[in-house]
Amino acid sequence: MAHLTDEIASVLREEISRYESGIDVREVGRVLEVGDGIARVWGLSGVMAGEMVEFPGGITGLAFNLEENSVGVIILGDYLKVTEGDEVKSTGRLLSVPVGDAVIGRVLDPLGNPLDGKGPIVTDLRRPVETLAPGVAQRSPVREPLQTGIKAVDAMTPIGRGQRELIIGDRKTGKTAIGIDAIINQKHSGVKCFYVAVGQKDSSVAVAIDTLHKYGAMDYTTVIVSGASTAAPLQYIAPYSGTAMAEHFMYNGQHALIVYDDLSKQATAYRQLSLLMRRPPGREAYPGDVFYAHSRLLERSAKLSKELGGGSLTSLPIIETLEGEVSAYIPTNVISITDGQIYLQPDLFFAGQRPAMNAGISVSRVGGAAQTKAMKKVSGGLRLDLASFRELEAFAQLGTDLDAATQQRLDRGYRMVELLKQGQYAPMETVDQVLSIYAGTRGHLDDVKRDEVADWEKGFLTFVRDQVPELRARIESSKELDGESERQLEAAIAEFKRQRAAGAGRQLAGAR
Amino acid sequence: MSDQNPAAGHVDIAVDRVAKIYAQAVVEAADAAGCRREVLAELGSLARDVLPKVPQAAAVFASPKVPAEEKAAVIDKVAKGRLRPTSVNALHVLARHGRLGMLGAVVAAAERLADERDGRKQATFTTAVPLDDAERARVVAEIERAVKSPLTPTFAVDPALIGGLVVRIGDTIYDQSVATSLTRLGGRLHQRNIQAIQNGEYSWRT
Repeated sequence: MAHLTDEIASVLREEISRYESGIDVREVGRVLEVGDGIARVWGLSGVMAGEMVEFPGGITGLAFNLEENSVGVIILGDYLKVTEGDEVKSTGRLLSVPVGDAVIGRVLDPLGNPLDGKGPIVTDLRRPVETLAPGVAQRSPVREPLQTGIKAVDAMTPIGRGQRELIIGDRKTGKTAIGIDAIINQKHSGVKCFYVAVGQKDSSVAVAIDTLHKYGAMDYTTVIVSGASTAAPLQYIAPYSGTAMAEHFMYNGQHALIVYDDLSKQATAYRQLSLLMRRPPGREAYPGDVFYAHSRLLERSAKLSKELGGGSLTSLPIIETLEGEVSAYIPTNVISITDGQIYLQPDLFFAGQRPAMNAGISVSRVGGAAQTKAMKKVSGGLRLDLASFRELEAFAQLGTDLDAATQQRLDRGYRMVELLKQGQYAPMETVDQVLSIYAGTRGHLDDVKRDEVADWEKGFLTFVRDQVPELRARIESSKELDGESERQLEAAIAEFKRQRAAGAGRQLAGAR
Repeated sequence: MSDQNPAAGHVDIAVDRVAKIYAQAVVEAADAAGCRREVLAELGSLARDVLPKVPQAAAVFASPKVPAEEKAAVIDKVAKGRLRPTSVNALHVLARHGRLGMLGAVVAAAERLADERDGRKQATFTTAVPLDDAERARVVAEIERAVKSPLTPTFAVDPALIGGLVVRIGDTIYDQSVATSLTRLGGRLHQRNIQAIQNGEYSWRT
């Protein structure tokens, strides 16, 4: 005990001897009213818009509205502890969050405080939550692919590093699953991943985190959580702070992927704040600058020029629609901001097509340039073929007799749909995707029964892996499907079909 | 200062805003008559010295139940001849618009505005113990030199400061009180311990 007292005394002595009694200069205001996560403050006449202010007890806030006689502040933290008459200090700083390797593998709140009980975030690196997006001269075109490991996405709506691809659909159509799969698939790509959960049920977020852990994805992933029970200000800033953390890697020449799950809830939180702040409501009661709230966020995803290190930030914003209504305010906004969208439909989902992607209206505006040559070769025209198949299918349901050519297109379409089905958390390597899709689009599956397509594909991929590994290695390393590879691949398919037929014959004989 | 001093607690933005408008009118009318200082002094002593001593009068002034004519009659009886015509007129205008209740706020706003136009700043000096006149003059001169602007000082005593001096000019506080220094020292020690724990060099054992 005496030892302890001595040590405390020595620390105190040292601290006091180093203590300079400087004048504490601060600009202050006083809380007039507080509630629902916002406070109205009298004073603070020199505060700037977006500046961080401090309430007693270390609670921070952001100056949101500057009015003639008062300042509207959004409170980031426990607003129940702020009371009328409290002194508010301006800090002269912008809100910032910890960034860098220290945040990787962690579950954080939007201010960068750990939520996973794994101890404090030890780092000196911080980035402001709101920064300007890189300008025209600082960018370069999207060229490299970001593989999601999902056949349908990589073949039909390819995503490039630095792209913003919207995932849009009704509730329970597998939107989050695509984001999580894309994260799981980055295991060997060196892309740092960020999953921003806004306004989600905490139970759903727990499931997502658990999945990421299970597939070893938490080693390179940060989860930023502001659940449904968090105050609106935190839900509003969560995407921005997640982006700040991801940007750190982009500006250091690395690659990052960020999933915003989902931006409709963020827009709702922003609407709540704006209405409480008495900003005038516009369409659907959203404030006039809700478009800017999303555009300035998504504009920060970019592919940087070589001079800046060539890093990239790819984003997958998620928007939930109501009853497939894509012409609502927020969906149209975000569709127009992003470089394409993956549209998920409930009827496809319940028909067993998972991912339930509608090939007709899903697009990727820049990703084509980022596809590998091999993938481009095998999947060219696939999306349009599939879309026209859907139309044809609807027509064929009328029960009319079909000519042979039409029937053949239908059969091809059914098999492609089967081929593009893929289980959750089972991302595929690019070369495997190329092999499968080649077999499908070149008609090698036309004589396979529809319910055997998945089995055929599995068998074929195993066959290539085991019996013609040099072909696989060749495509994988060159990322190209040249004439020689194509010849070999044709031969491999023929050989596999022969073996399969023989195997089936043997099985049949055995059964007899 | 006044009831609109945020340090005094309750602030009503609506009153503040209206008071500013009347204050501007009072200052400009007094300027036109060439007697700004006198008018402000008269109204100030009325609001701060007289009315608090006669709470009934304050209640009459503030009450919307009392008709404006009666208020005007009271003003004439009390102020006419004793105060300058500009001051009396100002009171009449306030009475006619039912704003006599916010006389204190109007006077405070007028004083602020007058100081602003003179290039002076209002400053509140808070100490733990009362200062004598010589000390006050020295402190004010010192601060005036530091902020490079003439000040209109107000003095307050707050034993909770323990020692030192806190000066408030506008929304900016220059704080060299013992209480704040101790709070800061506490915060620093706290921070240091957190850092020590984070860096794993925390060695204290109980």
